[in-house]
Amino acid sequence: MSSTNEQLRPLSLKREGDGLLIEWNDGVRTFALWRRLRTDCPCATCNEERAKPPDPFRVLSAQEAAAGPPSPTAMKPLGHYAYQITWNDGHNTGIYPVELLRSLSEPK
Amino acid sequence: MSGPMPGQKISLPGVKHVIAIASGKGGVGKSTVAANLALALHAKGQRVGLMDADIYGPSVPLMFGLGIVDQTKVPFPIEQYGLRLMSMGFLVDPKQAIIWRGPKVAQAVGTFLVQIPWGELDYLIIDLPPGTGDAQLTLSQQAPLTGAIVVTQPAEVSLIDARKGVTMFQEVRVPILGIVENMSYLVVPDGQRISPFGSGGGRRLAEEIGVPLLGEIPIESLVSSCGDDGEPIVRKFPEHAVSKAYADLAQSVITVMEKQPAGGGLPEVQL
Repeated sequence: MSSTNEQLRPLSLKREGDGLLIEWNDGVRTFALWRRLRTDCPCATCNEERAKPPDPFRVLSAQEAAAGPPSPTAMKPLGHYAYQITWNDGHNTGIYPVELLRSLSEPK
Repeated sequence: MSGPMPGQKISLPGVKHVIAIASGKGGVGKSTVAANLALALHAKGQRVGLMDADIYGPSVPLMFGLGIVDQTKVPFPIEQYGLRLMSMGFLVDPKQAIIWRGPKVAQAVGTFLVQIPWGELDYLIIDLPPGTGDAQLTLSQQAPLTGAIVVTQPAEVSLIDARKGVTMFQEVRVPILGIVENMSYLVVPDGQRISPFGSGGGRRLAEEIGVPLLGEIPIESLVSSCGDDGEPIVRKFPEHAVSKAYADLAQSVITVMEKQPAGGGLPEVQL
């Protein structure tokens, strides 16, 4: 029977400085920079933006400019498989499966 | 009634196991399986609720001999045959179509979970609509699902969609407790078994994804007539061979759930 036991799973997630410290059930500790998580947001809008050629004349929105460096205001677990992050620039549609959190973080 | 906010995690502290009954394809008898399984679990001494999450095509009211209910006089969930029940069919005239977009469906499903006082239950069985849409996603993201049971017929046309249901639950890491093959075979008057939709499809799917085949339920016209008459076969004819197949299915579910690790949800983030 399929079990979540053998699947990769975070045991704890804690803000540390400019990123997220994660302890995993395979004994590994990783650290993900908020900036990396924000840049690689997996939502449809951000995926589409990343697919476009870079726009050198892009002007930040007032909210983006006021927000400063990316930082989450909330990060909620979704069921058994992902986290949803609400960022300080107001963006909140990114759902980060646990495998993505692992791949966007570095061993620490 | 107002539901949970999008993304809000729903907690059901009095409910030990929340099991979704799903199928990729419609018409495989999922609601019949859900109703009879709920009754078979109750017959084994379990406290059981049945939530009909098929907002567009609710079938619980008909199968339990109920209809539209005056909310001001009868509190939800409605008790019938020892089960606690909730369905969109208690709120809307069966002749009226529910013409809703996805977010409204998701909101209704969330509302059923959050605002209905389910109380202390061993099992809350959720009868999902067919497919892999809004109701499934809301439950996978917000509800404390212990696992899902996928119902299929033996025919490949049913299996192809059942596989999609399985894939969806695997993507969102909801453990699949097992496969139920409905309309598995027909026992003809001379006692011989024939398989009008082919044989072994449920077993093949179970082996393919590495989960148990929880039960094979035979075709029997009484199953349909009992449901239409408002008293499912497990309740009306508990000694019938089909009811015994459901009793075996309920026992398989209880055995699987005993082995299921508790607390499969993800930890909160310390921000």
